[in-house]
Amino acid sequence: MAGVEWVAPSTEDEALRYFSSDPPSAVVPIAGGTDLLLDLEAGRVGPRRLVSLSRLPWRELEWAPNALRIGSTRPLADIQADPRVRQAVPGLIEAILAVGGPALRHRATLGGNLARAAPASDVIPLLLAVGASVELVGADGHRTVPVDQFVRASRETALRPGELIRRIVLPVPRPSAYRWHRVRPVNDISHVAVGGSFDPGTSEWTVAIGGVPPRPQVERDRTLGARPSDAAIETFARAVAERVPLRGDLRASEGYRRRVVAILVARTIRAVAMADQIGSDRGSAA
Amino acid sequence: MSYSVRPDALEKLTGQVLYGVDVERPGMWWGALVPSPAAAGRLVAIDASAVADEEAVVVTAADLPRLLPNGSGDPERPIFPSTAVRYRGEPVAAVAAPTLERARAAAARVRVRLDAEAPVEDLDRLFPDWPSPETMRDHPLVNGHVLARFGPVDRAFRTADELFQETYRTSGVHQVPLEPHACVADATGSVWHVTTSTQTPFGCREDTASLLGIPESSLVVEGSWVGGAFGSKGSALLEPYALVLSRASGRPVRLALSYAEEFQLGRTTLPSVLRLETALRNGRVVGRRARLLLDTGASLPGGDFTLGYAAGFLLGPYGAPALEIEGYAIRTHKPPFGPHRAPFIPQVAFAIESHLTHLAAHLGEDPIRLRRATVWTEGQTTTLGQRVGPFGLDRCLERAAEVVRAWRVDLPAGHGVGTGAGFWSTGAGAGGEARVVLTPTAVEVEQSEREIGSGSVLRGVAAVVERVLGLPPSHVVVRYQDTASGPFDSGVFGSRTVAALGQAAEKASRRLLTVLQERAGLRSTPRLAVADGRIVLEAPGTSAPVETLFTDSERRAGRLVVDGRHYGRAEGGIDPSRAVVGEFHPFTDFTAAAHVAEVEVDRELGAVRVVRYHAIHDVGTLIDRRTATAQVEGGVAMGLGEALTEEMLWRDDGRLENPGLLDYRLMTITDVPPIEVEFVEGFRGAGPFGAKGLGEIPIVPVPATIAAAIHDALGRPLFELPMTPERIARALAERTVDRPPVGRGAPA
Repeated sequence: MAGVEWVAPSTEDEALRYFSSDPPSAVVPIAGGTDLLLDLEAGRVGPRRLVSLSRLPWRELEWAPNALRIGSTRPLADIQADPRVRQAVPGLIEAILAVGGPALRHRATLGGNLARAAPASDVIPLLLAVGASVELVGADGHRTVPVDQFVRASRETALRPGELIRRIVLPVPRPSAYRWHRVRPVNDISHVAVGGSFDPGTSEWTVAIGGVPPRPQVERDRTLGARPSDAAIETFARAVAERVPLRGDLRASEGYRRRVVAILVARTIRAVAMADQIGSDRGSAA
Repeated sequence: MSYSVRPDALEKLTGQVLYGVDVERPGMWWGALVPSPAAAGRLVAIDASAVADEEAVVVTAADLPRLLPNGSGDPERPIFPSTAVRYRGEPVAAVAAPTLERARAAAARVRVRLDAEAPVEDLDRLFPDWPSPETMRDHPLVNGHVLARFGPVDRAFRTADELFQETYRTSGVHQVPLEPHACVADATGSVWHVTTSTQTPFGCREDTASLLGIPESSLVVEGSWVGGAFGSKGSALLEPYALVLSRASGRPVRLALSYAEEFQLGRTTLPSVLRLETALRNGRVVGRRARLLLDTGASLPGGDFTLGYAAGFLLGPYGAPALEIEGYAIRTHKPPFGPHRAPFIPQVAFAIESHLTHLAAHLGEDPIRLRRATVWTEGQTTTLGQRVGPFGLDRCLERAAEVVRAWRVDLPAGHGVGTGAGFWSTGAGAGGEARVVLTPTAVEVEQSEREIGSGSVLRGVAAVVERVLGLPPSHVVVRYQDTASGPFDSGVFGSRTVAALGQAAEKASRRLLTVLQERAGLRSTPRLAVADGRIVLEAPGTSAPVETLFTDSERRAGRLVVDGRHYGRAEGGIDPSRAVVGEFHPFTDFTAAAHVAEVEVDRELGAVRVVRYHAIHDVGTLIDRRTATAQVEGGVAMGLGEALTEEMLWRDDGRLENPGLLDYRLMTITDVPPIEVEFVEGFRGAGPFGAKGLGEIPIVPVPATIAAAIHDALGRPLFELPMTPERIARALAERTVDRPPVGRGAPA
């Protein structure tokens, strides 16, 4: 990591210029760095220059009619603390509380989670479930892409060379919940995680299952309705668990993961339906 | 409220202390190790021709005769293999270069060619069935064998009307000191010098000198600050490599492990399979047997001694009319087995305590009452026939029963409460010396241990001196020495610091008072006190600054020095008629604990949350309550990891799959429940004022206690550590848990 230049532009134009002038592998954006630093240390990326996004005025939390717009570099801790967010998108708070520990959440960002597209990201399944989109900015201007199209696979996104994530847009209000499972409740990787939401307008349920290859899997249903029965929930959850692509690894076997998917899908839907949506650091015990 | 703060707290919190990796020497180079790329095989060649760095120095086994004054070092324990490699990551060469980056780059270009062989990693794969004595007799991988027997065992098992048999499995666990091993060596002069993060400077000197074939007198070991050790920093690890690199490069060399290397080279507790059998007749225990297969990696330091020591714990602190224990050490292609806070005994306690918990449930008895019926008390004999000294476990269990009763009131659904017990023997027999230095304004304790974070040196030993002399903590200072200038001490291991070094300091302090009493012509023993910032001698009718009692030469030196030494030994031996095969070892002291935990278990996912914890400890005599309490809390937190999350995962090719803190999961502060610590006093130990060691016993009962609480919540036994959610979910899903013959721990 020796010899890497660190720059911290304070305007959007300045930031974008760094990316237009250098080949893509030589210049890498960094926000909280909580994921990227591991790659830097291991030598998996070897940029000449790191462009810090932390001085950009990209940390807003804005309420528009039916939408919440969150600047891509706003630390997760500063989203988690906002009571209005908790009310409008409760699942987002639950997902954020699942990320690392308190110290890490003061650095980690939504933009970083999306750009790095880590297979075990805790916020991506929730963003998929609520139907969020990302606004991108590049030399050719702005464009908006649904998260469902933005995250293509593990570590693979729709970002074009020189493009940065400007903000994340979530439809609100959106009844939602996030449930996860891991060996250690805090500072661990979710082996399986489920974001779920209900759109009262279309009466559609969306669940996104994280921890599955090649990226979180989205499942939708319009038969369950606003107040689904336990039996209907179980049937849906089991069906989802049977069709999601799962793999075993050192963290959990495939069979156990499948079982956990069924349990968490059911719990997520129940949590949304019952509006029992108060976040907790111990989501798996909820 | 006033309370004593750890003397090293400010320096540590403000980053002023120098850990091993912070130590620098002028002109220092950096070292890096070249790991074996395979776990087993024969070395063909080590080719350094691709190393482009012209300054880099590469050392292999072939270079040792040139670098070491007496040839190649210890032929039994070569620091580099010259023929066969024993485990993946074993250092086969070492490199020194002007910077860390250059050293690592050069090490990466050293090509190691070998004829790889299939390694042996897994006990279950090696022995799909429980091995017969015939299988083991000439087995090439058997590294050690112990067998002990008492009473009519065969008859007890032959005439039993019921056999309660279980098989347990435990995992490898790492010490995880936050500071990896690190040292700086200088072998450019006639006396070699190494500054290292060690818990035993003299032990490190002895081991390093022996490995390199040099006299101890030509090596000086200086301890740096230690950022945690937990047993891992006792004998030599990096020091011999750093010294030969210094020899080869003609410069001081710093060698420090990366965190991944810390895991990969770790010498620690390795996996085991334990089978426990209780013979019952008419619902009464008539005999008990324990069988152990212990994975010892490439070697078992101390061989039968280590195995025999562990064997003494296999049946717990409980008597039986007839008993038998048998243990086999099995060589595999992992790094050598090594000490880890109460080495392997939390795992042993998990098995025997769980066995008793399950037996009590099977017999419809209260698990604590069942234990108390046969728990050792003073005057009884151990499994190996040694007389038991003062031992407060029965009292601890009695208190545990009261805690359990209180916690059962309004216990929420899905919760469980369980108890586990354990005992430990301290290394109070190992020798040590201390100097007590009286100056006009303070008392200094000169000694050669390093504080490893528990507080046993800086608070524990100081508290003993304070208590003898009557001085407040502000006027007693503990100083460190290197092996050239300090008094001999065996080091920080075996929970011995307060119990053994504390006795040396106690004796020196008492001698100081005697010297002062004689000089002052007093009839009774005086005490020291502080008046206007000066140390004064106090006795009825007398109060005088201590320097008025100094001799002329002491006054000129500004100090009066007395020393104390403690070379203890075990009280009584084992009964030789019980030892059938192998080397066994008597205990020095009998320390004990009973723990109680409440857990909440998610019956679907298998996830466990520890709600609260209560630890009851027989400490003999309490020396410093805050330090002792913190020590127990730390031991419990560490034990929770061994119980629930910590596990080293080796692949079949010998590669450690989780060499880092992401997938080797320590408990974090948010996972540790409120811990209530309670001390039982009056069962006097071998230490000063009757103190017993407290370094290791706090971790011993923890996995057993959590297992008992989970068993209470679920009504299902667990037979494997750690008790991860997946294992618990599997236990819940299995209708019958039998998988013979080694099985997953089913009652047969």
